[in-house]
Order: sequence, then structure tokens, then C-alpha cells
Amino acid sequence: MYACIHSAAPLSRQSLLELAREFSPEVEQADAGTVVFSIAPLRKLIGSPYQIASEICRFGHERKMQASLAFASNPDAAILLARNCIGVTLVTPGEERLKLAPLPLTALFTHDVPVDVALLEVLHRWGLKTCEDLAALPERGVAERLGQAGVYLRTLARGAIHRPLRVAASVTNYEERLELEHPLQLLEPLLFLLGRVLSELCGRLRSQSRAARLVAARFELEERKEYSFELEFAVPLEESRAMLKLLQLHLERHPPEGPILAFTLRMQAVEPRRVQSGIFLPPTPPADKLQVTLERIAGMVGKENAGTPRLLNTHRPDAFEMTALPVTDTVQSDMQPQAAYPGILRLVMRLFRPALHARVHVVEYAPKDVLASGVRGNVVRSAGPWKTSGEWWAATAWSREEWDVALDDGALYRIYQESKSREWYVYGVYD
Amino acid sequence: MANTGGALRSAERWKRASELHSLHEEQKFNPLEVSGLNTLASNGLPRGTIAEVNGRRSSGRTSVCLHILAEATARGEVCAVIDLYDSFHPVSAAAAGVRLDRLIWVRCHGNAEHAIRSADLLLHAGGFGVVLLDLCEANPRVLNRIPLSYWYRFRRAVEHTPAILLLCAEISQARSCSSHQLQLKHNVFHWSGKSPFLLLRGLQVQALLHKARLICPESLFIRTAA
Repeated sequence: MYACIHSAAPLSRQSLLELAREFSPEVEQADAGTVVFSIAPLRKLIGSPYQIASEICRFGHERKMQASLAFASNPDAAILLARNCIGVTLVTPGEERLKLAPLPLTALFTHDVPVDVALLEVLHRWGLKTCEDLAALPERGVAERLGQAGVYLRTLARGAIHRPLRVAASVTNYEERLELEHPLQLLEPLLFLLGRVLSELCGRLRSQSRAARLVAARFELEERKEYSFELEFAVPLEESRAMLKLLQLHLERHPPEGPILAFTLRMQAVEPRRVQSGIFLPPTPPADKLQVTLERIAGMVGKENAGTPRLLNTHRPDAFEMTALPVTDTVQSDMQPQAAYPGILRLVMRLFRPALHARVHVVEYAPKDVLASGVRGNVVRSAGPWKTSGEWWAATAWSREEWDVALDDGALYRIYQESKSREWYVYGVYD
Repeated sequence: MANTGGALRSAERWKRASELHSLHEEQKFNPLEVSGLNTLASNGLPRGTIAEVNGRRSSGRTSVCLHILAEATARGEVCAVIDLYDSFHPVSAAAAGVRLDRLIWVRCHGNAEHAIRSADLLLHAGGFGVVLLDLCEANPRVLNRIPLSYWYRFRRAVEHTPAILLLCAEISQARSCSSHQLQLKHNVFHWSGKSPFLLLRGLQVQALLHKARLICPESLFIRTAA
């Protein structure tokens, strides 16, 4: 048996859930003003459905609530009756159809049903007005004409839909604050406390099958100062050790300005990354370990110097940006078992960053010798010039003439002359 | 004596000295097949080892290294480039077939200590297919300051793992710690067209794989991407 309490009064809606929780820990909230719960366990505690109903009414009266109450053998019938019948409605099992019979068909559509509302017009055109009219129709005929949605409505009108309660999970708080007895100045004892709090928060994450995408830390310092930062992870993490290491690396690079009096850690919980790895797939670095490793390297060489290069959609020379290593949740289907050019070696270039300023002797419009830092020689053969320019509308504009020159030192260079300044530079070497 | 003679005659129990290397080859992981170097390393590059590619400017050393990276990334492996002098050219690498979305690039701006420590961290993190440590253009004095013990440390870090540490430098750095050493020497540039309207077509290099069973020079042709 299920009990449904429905209240149309806006003031009572907030206390509805509290009232239901007085009788059952598992409560379905159908909407803001409707709650359903099972009364089967209350039979031993309170007694018959009549006694349970009077107990619920007493509790409601104490809270000065205006609501209607319905008991039925399934949640949907209880909801329909509570919404459409004022007062207390008790339905013994098997009498649901009888009680629902006078309800108008529109009541079925105000219920949370997965059917198209246009179906109501069809039913009205058939001359059906009440639930009994629909319930009396043969199931086979309804299925042939209206399909699955029609059969569902007919079963609902008969009060014969049996389903478990949709109990909403309680909201877990992923935030923890810790006040310290003495101000902390050293990183090591702070990490000990951070590790304890992180471990507790990660336990909550694991209990909910969640992972953290972001950790926000807020430190309350002396003299009412505050220091806060957020660490966003490329891959959701659920292990406190990796998070603690990332926090440590961040705090080592950006320490707080003063002693710490209290701190708050907050995690943003998301779905964890679940990847099916295969026996025949190549190994990849563990996501948490890789993040810690990259963070350590970034701490050494700088964040902008460690990452994955991504080419920009432009013809500008050497146009790229550094990004985080993209992590895909699925095995890439476009992965070719062979390289793009199997068996063919492609000539690549090494760049001088920044390009080496050069002195170039030009004879008959072609470079004859090149002199730059670490590059010196007479031109044996040259190809060019190739004029390239672009992005004249932006600060990144370029315009230059490029040459491939083979010097007598045995190396082949790419040099260019800026169109504006007429200065020569060694851009790179073919290697 | 009769027993010793019998044992000597038994081919199963006695091997030639040249065959002894096969006793130590316990291949835990399949070697990385590099299609462009089939003639040189027919069995591919063994995993869990240090391989070196040496040569001067325009000897094709970077092309060979990026070709190996292209083969590894095409198999879905995550690779890393530790770039001592910030000379890695992503456009060239992409044109050579390297999948940049599976590559980690560490730019060290000439700091050899950062390069070595980055390599150490990446190798110990594990899971990488190929880690390329690019020490080209480095001053010999800087390279000589790298303690030899680091190469032993790297060898210990990669062995029994599917990773390959690929060293690219002008001369051999890892010395006895490397299992393969590819020495490249540029031969001739190929141009098309008539002067002054020339177009670079490729580079012919002479390659010699040291520390292999059969050492014989091979000629490699490296084409331009165009």
C-alpha cells in the first residue's frame, strides 16, 4: 500500500517532504506538492490503514497543513486520487478502477505520463470522457489504434500500474571546512590536514560513485586575508593522493601570503571516467599519474611549455597553441594501425626560436652567403623566393620572402627576408 | 671425456658465442615496427630500451625520430617530446604523420637539467610509447655535464616497460646504455627543376645501425612533404 499526500497550498509544500519523512525514509516527490511513500512497514508500527491515515492527518493538522490524502495499492493510483479527490481517500486493493472511474480523462494527462497530449483530443473525439470509459475499452483494440501509449493510459485509468517508488537520492555535500587551533605557517603540517579532509571527501565521492573534476580551496589567513584557488583536472579524479599531490605542487609554486587559520575544500562531483581498456590496445599513461607528472614538469619549465600542441587554423608560420592532452572516454575508432605514410620518411624542419637574425649577401636577386649565430657558409644551391603574407588586419600580420638554401657546411636552411624591414632571418634547418 | 664429447656434439646444449644474445632476449612486448627503417631494423625497435639517432645538421636525424613517433602515435600510443632548444616544429611533425593529439611536448629553452628531469619524470610515470629526448644543437660542454649515471637510471626506468627512450643528438650520449644506435650522414639533396627555378624534393642519407646483429650501411631517401 502507498500513501500520497497532495497539497495545492504553496505554504504547505515545503513541509510536505518533512511530513512524509516522519513516516518513511523512502519518499518519492512526484512534484513540488505531491509526495508518495510506502505504508507497508507502518502496518506493524501503527496498525490498519485507517489508523495510519488518522495518524498522518494528526501530524498534518499539527503543522496546520491543507492537503488531501489517498491510499492505494500502487503509487500512480494514489497520486491520481490524492490530486483529484479532496480529503482522505482509502482504496482497498482491487477497487482502484472503481475509485478512479469518475475522474475525467484530463486527470490522466496532468499526471506525469510519457504520452503525447494530442492523444487526449483523439480520445475526446472517440466520445470518451472519464477514466472508466477508457478502462472499459478492450486492450487489444486500444493497442492496435493507439499503440503503447494508449495501452499505458488504459492501464493507468484502471489503476493497475505497478512500479517501485522513484526515491530521490539525498544531496551529498562535497565541502568541508577545518578551523585550526593555531595558525599554520609550514606546508608539511598543512598537507597533513589537507590530506585528511581530502580523504574524507573522496570517501563521499566513492560512496556515490562520483569523481571530482575540480577542487576549490579557500584559505583564511591572518589579518582577515583570504587566499583561494581552483584546481581543474583534465580527467575526473577519485583518489585523494593524486589530488593532494596536485594541491602540494600548486601551494609550492603559489604559497599563501600569511599563516593559515582555517581552510575550506570544495569538490565538484561529476561522473567518473570509465574506459574499457583492451588487451590489444596500446598502453596509455594512467590519467591521475599523468596529471601529477605534467604538473611537476609545468612547475619546472612553466605551464605554457608543457602540453599538447594544437595547430591553429591559419597559414601563419609556426602557428600553434599549447593545450592539455585530450582525454577521450572511448577508444578512438579512427586510429589507423599504420602511420599516415607507411614506409615513407618525410623531411621535417627544426626551427630556431626566435629566428636567427642573419646577414645575407645577395647577388642577382639570390642569396650567395649567409652569416648568423651558429650558421655560416656560402650558398651552394637555393630555391625561392616564395612570398607569403597574411593577417594584415591583425597584430600577427606577416609578409616575407622565403628561400631554401643549401650551404657549403652541408646543411639546408630555410631563410626569409621581412618585406617591411628588409631584414634577413634564418627560420629553421631541414633535418 | 666421452661425456664431454657427447655434450659437445649436442646442438641443443651448446651454442656459438654469436648466438648468445638470443638467450637474453625475453621479449615481453612486441617491438615497435618502423616501416621506413625496415631495411635497417627488420625486427623493429625493441621495447624497454634506449635507442639513439645521431647525426649532424641536415642528416635527417629529426625526420627519422619523427617518423618513429608517427608510427607510434598511429598505433594509438601516447608519446612525448622533450625539446631542449625549443626547435620542435609541430607543423612539420603533423605533415610527417605524427598525431599531435597524442603527443606531449616539453620545451626546456636550453636548460639541460630541466630536460633530463622531465625525461626522468615521464619515464617513471609510465604508459608512454616513445619518449624522444631531443638534445640536438646542444653545446658539447652542456652535454658532458650530464652524469653518466642518468643514462643507467633511464635504462633501468624503461626496461621491462613498453616504452622506448629515443635520444636524438649529434653524437652518442647514452653510450653503452643504448641498445640501438642509428648513425646518419647526409649524402645529397635532391632538387627538381632548373636553376634558378629549383624545388627541394628530398634528402638522401647514409644510415648505419650500430649494435645490430649485422652492421651494414643503408641508403635512406627522405622526401619533402610537398
